[in-house]
Amino acid sequence: MPLNKDSLPNTFLVATVLCLFCAFVVSAASVTLRPLQLENAQKDRRNNILQVSGFTPEEIEESGGIKKVFESRFDVEIIDLDTGQDAEADCQAAMNKAKDKEVNLGEEYDQLWASKLNPDKGLSEKLDKKTDVCGIKSREKFSEVFIMKSSAGEPELYVFPVRGNGLWSLMQGYLAVKPDFQTVVGLTFYQQAETPGLGGEVQNPDWKALWKDKKIYDDGEVKLAVIKGNKAGNAYGVDALSGATITSNGVTNMIDFWMGDKGFGPYINEMKKQDSSQIKTEAAGGNNVK
Amino acid sequence: MSSKTSAKDLVLDPIFNNNPIALQILGICSALAVTTKLSTSLTMSFAVIAVTACSSAAVSLIKDRIPSSIRIIVQMTIIASFVILVDQVLKAYAFQLSKELSVFVGLIITNCIVMGRAEGFAMKNSVSDSFFDGIGNGLGYSIILMVVGFFRELFGSGTLFGFTVFAKQSAGGWYEPNGLMLLSPSAFFIIGIFIWVLRTWKPEQVEEA
Repeated sequence: MPLNKDSLPNTFLVATVLCLFCAFVVSAASVTLRPLQLENAQKDRRNNILQVSGFTPEEIEESGGIKKVFESRFDVEIIDLDTGQDAEADCQAAMNKAKDKEVNLGEEYDQLWASKLNPDKGLSEKLDKKTDVCGIKSREKFSEVFIMKSSAGEPELYVFPVRGNGLWSLMQGYLAVKPDFQTVVGLTFYQQAETPGLGGEVQNPDWKALWKDKKIYDDGEVKLAVIKGNKAGNAYGVDALSGATITSNGVTNMIDFWMGDKGFGPYINEMKKQDSSQIKTEAAGGNNVK
Repeated sequence: MSSKTSAKDLVLDPIFNNNPIALQILGICSALAVTTKLSTSLTMSFAVIAVTACSSAAVSLIKDRIPSSIRIIVQMTIIASFVILVDQVLKAYAFQLSKELSVFVGLIITNCIVMGRAEGFAMKNSVSDSFFDGIGNGLGYSIILMVVGFFRELFGSGTLFGFTVFAKQSAGGWYEPNGLMLLSPSAFFIIGIFIWVLRTWKPEQVEEA
């Protein structure tokens, strides 16, 4: 061997070459596999949205797969959580600025990522201790809302992205509600790492089925909660998971936050206002014809 | 081990005779974490086999160039690169499973078996021997994972690979799942029993008190 393998130059040589080589391999894999991974993640989220809206896997399969069903039945709206108004343009502008390029909002807007940015970027805001009931510390300014429309274009249900801390992990999921913004259609989690068999039972279909037809608001306040020893027939309570008090409380807090004033409350008020004004004009129009 | 050992011995020996978990007591930590279900155990097994085999072969390939002063970090770098590769591939082609395994694929880096084989075997043996030794030790790890996963899923959830074997009471059946099986300590018990059975069968593995 020309070079003594324990000599200083060889040590540097081996270290440098190895690092460069490994870095190259790892980056190449990451870059080439990234589109597939993003597609998987998106597909997974959409699959959860479909399932929380009551589609069974068989139905999705029969109707041509996740992508087709999602794109034909759902509208994606981007709203400003504070005002409840449609804010796609604002979000686009803020995202372009934050990423310093023209962003494809549908593919690249990641709410969790946005919520953790510095508030200066205009995509997030810090939460104070009192309002932050589900322990997320900061919240994004803009959120996606998924609206399932009937073939006539009427909204059939709304799916809201929700998240909150359980015992070990941030639980991320979707809550689907009927257009009266009072009746739950379903709740599901696409990301959680609670104790398997205890808190992890938030993913149990039997438990998730308990959420169907529960009521959210009582006199304008969020009343729906996960309750230990829930009475049968209580429209505002879902049975707590045994052995998983902290996870159960986490879910309660999550509903409380995201359905409240800091979450989708303003949006829901906005939608109700639009609804009632629509009914008024329709009624007025009807009178004119008479 | 002499360089004359055949590939077959290299692969089969670590399964029962020189099992990395049962005899060498390496890699216990991840054996606790991923064995609540058979599907995750199986994926983890493949991941570890791939990483151990490839990293051992790679370390063996450049063993004559590795300066002894930095050999551990060189092995670490190689292992870490393979682990990231496996993680990326899983995320791209087995998304659901990689979500369930979450951080534990990344933690293969810290699995003592991989490092142990790189330092203990690959640094002194040929590329092909090291590769087969890696597969063998990966298999030895896998068998424990599968055994532990089998019992934990069966008694903890009443299912095997997600298919119902014991109908749970909550679903109208008769079986009351054993919650302990879903928590990490149960894996200790099962590994302990496995070692006991193995050493009763092969008394030469018993250490002197």
